[in-house]
Amino acid sequence: MDISIIEASEEVYADRESFADDERQQIEINLLLEGIYQMYGYDFRGYVRSSLRRRILNRMKAERLPTITALLEKVLHEEGVLERLLNDLSIRMTEMFRDPSFFAAFRKQVVPLLRGLPEIRIWHAGCATGEEVYSMAILMHEEGLDEKTRIYGTDMNEKAIAAAKKGAFALKQMQQYTKNYLEAGGSKAFSEYYTTDHQYAYFHPDLGENMMFAQHNLVTDGSFNEFHVILCRNVLIYFDQDLQQHVHRLMHNSLSDGGFLGLGSKESILFAPDRVYYEDFIPQEKVYRKQAVQK
Amino acid sequence: MKGVNFPIQAKIFISYLAIVICLGISLFIVNGQMKNLQAEIDVISNHDMAVHELANQIQKNMLDMETGMRGFMITGDEQYLEPYQISSRSWQDNYNRLYALLKDNPDQQQALEQMRPLILSWIANTGEFVIQNKRENNETALQQYFAQNTGKNAMDDIRSQMSSLVAKEKNLTADRVAKLNQSNENVLYIWYVIAGGVTLISFAMSLFLSSSIVRTIRQVVRTIKDISKSDTGVDLSARIHVQSKDELRDLAEATNDLLSSLEKQSWIQRSLTEISTLYQGITDIGDLSKAVITVLAPKLQAAYGIVYLRKNAGNETVFVRVADYALAHQNTTDTFRVGEGLVGQCALDRRIFLFDNLPEDYLKVTSGLGEAVPRNLVVAPITVEGRVEAVIEFASFQPFEASHLTLLDLLQDKFGQAILNVLGRMEVERLLSESQVMTEELQTQSEELQTQSEELQMQQEQLRITNEFLEEQNLFAEQRATELKKTRDELADYARKLQASSQYKTDFLANMSHELRTPLNSILILSQMLMENHQGEGEEKEVEEYSRVIFRAGQDLLRLIDDILDLSKIEAGKIEILTDEVNVSEIPQSMQSMFEPIAAKKQLAFGVEMHPDTPSVLLTDGQRLHQILKNLLSNACKFTEKGSVTLRIEPAHPDRVRELLPQLQEEQVLSFSVIDTGIGIPCDKQEIIFDAFQQVDGTTNRQYGGTGLGLSICREFTRLLGGALSVESEPEKGSTFTLYIPNRTERQAQQQAAEQTAAEEVAAGGSQLLEEIESEKDLVVHIADSVPLHEQLFQGKHVLLVDDDARNVYALVTALERKGVRVEVAENGKQAVDLLLEDRSYDLVLMDIMMPIMDGYQAMKAIREDLGMTDMPIIALTAKAMKNEREKCMEAGASDYIMKPLNIDQLFSLMRVWLTK
Repeated sequence: MDISIIEASEEVYADRESFADDERQQIEINLLLEGIYQMYGYDFRGYVRSSLRRRILNRMKAERLPTITALLEKVLHEEGVLERLLNDLSIRMTEMFRDPSFFAAFRKQVVPLLRGLPEIRIWHAGCATGEEVYSMAILMHEEGLDEKTRIYGTDMNEKAIAAAKKGAFALKQMQQYTKNYLEAGGSKAFSEYYTTDHQYAYFHPDLGENMMFAQHNLVTDGSFNEFHVILCRNVLIYFDQDLQQHVHRLMHNSLSDGGFLGLGSKESILFAPDRVYYEDFIPQEKVYRKQAVQK
Repeated sequence: MKGVNFPIQAKIFISYLAIVICLGISLFIVNGQMKNLQAEIDVISNHDMAVHELANQIQKNMLDMETGMRGFMITGDEQYLEPYQISSRSWQDNYNRLYALLKDNPDQQQALEQMRPLILSWIANTGEFVIQNKRENNETALQQYFAQNTGKNAMDDIRSQMSSLVAKEKNLTADRVAKLNQSNENVLYIWYVIAGGVTLISFAMSLFLSSSIVRTIRQVVRTIKDISKSDTGVDLSARIHVQSKDELRDLAEATNDLLSSLEKQSWIQRSLTEISTLYQGITDIGDLSKAVITVLAPKLQAAYGIVYLRKNAGNETVFVRVADYALAHQNTTDTFRVGEGLVGQCALDRRIFLFDNLPEDYLKVTSGLGEAVPRNLVVAPITVEGRVEAVIEFASFQPFEASHLTLLDLLQDKFGQAILNVLGRMEVERLLSESQVMTEELQTQSEELQTQSEELQMQQEQLRITNEFLEEQNLFAEQRATELKKTRDELADYARKLQASSQYKTDFLANMSHELRTPLNSILILSQMLMENHQGEGEEKEVEEYSRVIFRAGQDLLRLIDDILDLSKIEAGKIEILTDEVNVSEIPQSMQSMFEPIAAKKQLAFGVEMHPDTPSVLLTDGQRLHQILKNLLSNACKFTEKGSVTLRIEPAHPDRVRELLPQLQEEQVLSFSVIDTGIGIPCDKQEIIFDAFQQVDGTTNRQYGGTGLGLSICREFTRLLGGALSVESEPEKGSTFTLYIPNRTERQAQQQAAEQTAAEEVAAGGSQLLEEIESEKDLVVHIADSVPLHEQLFQGKHVLLVDDDARNVYALVTALERKGVRVEVAENGKQAVDLLLEDRSYDLVLMDIMMPIMDGYQAMKAIREDLGMTDMPIIALTAKAMKNEREKCMEAGASDYIMKPLNIDQLFSLMRVWLTK
């Protein structure tokens, strides 16, 4: 399905002029994305346009520019603008133990199958500021698997990665996180994992021992290891179908036989080119298992 | 000219005087010359004229005589002789006068003298002769005479001599006139010279004078110009140096005085400005004070300095040291009340205190090389708007100068204003940062909301696409769903099995941790408080109370650990069974001696019955047997309030032996029954009482204490001895525990070795728990230092603590109140609900679970449902941290929970989360 048609159906245009304006804007966005890709290698061309448009317009206003073309000019010629734009484009929502039922199910159904492995590698693709990575580390710690677990958190946003490494989260979100933790079947007191000051809750550095954060771009970078679990939740929804397929291929290639793929609650494996190799493991939580290839 | 006051007036006067004197001298000289000249002229006009006159007179006389003589001779008339007579009388006179006049010229005198004989001879030979002869008419003689003409020759000689003399005189006169002319020229010449000389001298004098005056003036002017043209604006440190001692020197000195006064003024201004510039950019009052004193102290040449700042401590105003300069840690006081000490007095009087000649031991300034005593002290208040904001104190080796004091005085306003500014700025910055934080939060929130809605939108889109796709593949999906359900059921089944298999271990750990944590909790909190109790405010009573509670808790813990060790040793197979012959007939007596007093205390009947067929000797481990019996009997005593406790010993009934110990048919088995009339055990609990930590009333508000390990140990020992333990009981009627002990043989011992392996697994759980306790101890030791900022969240917060254990309440209340939390205590759930009914303003509830009357679960339910306080953060304090406990807490409505023993820092961390609004 063509995205521009979806776009067009979302808004009713009063007259042709505004339609022309919109078309112009589309062209400008295309040029901007193409420019960023050719100049810097960041590829947003396969991102869903409605979200990109809002963020690009936000950045344009913040830089006090009249047009997206002017933004492109600045991105190409002025230092620092690209960074700010990238930061805007790659902001995502995340929280600890988001969708607690997912983590509860993971703990109950996936973890027992991981227990037998000599080493467990988990990849959070698009981990943003790392909340889910810490959640997973806590879960694996409570299951007594922390020592043989390596958790890799990657995101294309450098700032997010830097924040993730700190492991400090705003105090006011901690009540929600505690609730999520309990609903996700946490077996200890959540407070055992952090200390606080007046602003942040700092998670114990011990948790971070088996964590690795790195910058990685799902669109342009390739596979870097073989994983037993890949979590890529609420990332694909920002991509168009071609890009989704690309990322699916990347994840399939990075997943070991019998490994698990966890997606966001509204995402599915249906568009994955390799979906036949997956088994619906916990369908309501979008957990899939890669089947061993029969030869 | 040095050392002599030589004013310009004198200089000018002297130079004019010199010129006048010069003029006088020249006039004198010229005058002398003129006089000489006059004398010459006189000589010419008097002497020479007289000479000429006289010479002419003499010539005339001669001529007269000749003429007279000739007339007479011709005529013979006597009349003609008259001129001759007159001249012959007067020539002598004229000759003498001429001679006298010519006395300065011997040559002429001589010439004159030569003429005299000639004249005389003429008179005698010619005149007189002629006259005589005429009178006598002796014509012949006359003829003859005239024929000879001697008289005429004489006369001609005289005449020629006379004219040569006159000619000579004329020459002389001409010489003199020439000389006079020469003298005249000389005088003119000398006059020119003198006039030139005087002009030169005057010129030189005026040059010297003017240059000496102008030079000094120029020097002054140059210095003043230099001062004003200096690079740094005006160089006030420069001074005018004048060599001369005159009015200019006075001027220079006056100017220098003005300069030094200006310099002082400017120094003060500059110092003030310099100090004023310090204020810029400083936002902390301590930094400001430090910066000011660091700049000020060297300016005052002070060896040390302190700034005290006004602070309000309660109702009192005190001055607190905020910054110091070069101060070694001596016995300096940090705070002064108003009126206390010099600093306080200075604040009270609002004036500068200055002291000279401080005593030797007042204060020492030390450096690496030595130390010295500053002898001068100044204490100055900083007053703004009539209020003393700060007091500064300096000590110096040199006396303080007036300008220093002026600076301090002037500084008052500036520094005071700066203090107010910085305080204001600090407040503004605080507010600004607060508002910034709030703005940022709002922005973040709106961004989050936007992102959220966007994500929802994305998700919906995705869902729609997915749904479309799904519709196409509906059938396929349904089929898969069925398979999926099957798989899921299988999985759930598997999970259940797994869960069940680990149940025992989990429960054991849960129970043990509860029992261990309760006493540990109070030990840890109280000892932590003792540890932190370094401010000297801990009274002995408090320490004693802490120690007593710790001691009691420690004893409980020790008993518990003994039991656990027994149990874990058994399970780890580390207890050796020493089979020996046990004299059964001695058992009643030993038991009686031990338990009769206990029973008597509770007014219970205690008896031992022994069947006559009982063999007197049994092959078993006597010590363990005794231990089992003691445990059973003490249990019976504990749970029996009235009635009796009986021990019955008899050979076991063969049916029971077959039932309980099928492998021991042939052996001789003894049964020991402990029969009581106590509270009894309901049927469904009869199995679990043998599990570790279990009592019949396993719920949270139980009545009987104890570790709950006794029966477990009994059962394990029994198993080791190859026997069995059974129970028959009816609630409220009583219980009968029956112990079956076989005669121990070699075969049995071997059998048991195999069982040990199984036991070790359980033991591992125990040791793991002990490790866990160890690690938690570490955690408590590593308590992070709290930072005041962290405690802001706690200030004035209202917390309700619900706990029945006085030790815990005591420990927690003390710890929380130190953080500034207001704590209200309820002893049980009922009280807590009542308190919350009255006052709903609590910020947080800390809820213990095990409490009499109304436990934590019920209380939380009541708060959430009956009181409808769904948002109140309730933190459950749980001893057991296992699944059931957690789920029960959540179900009851706890917001979060924390496990005992409480790590106080963890509690504070958690409270910060829940106190954040």
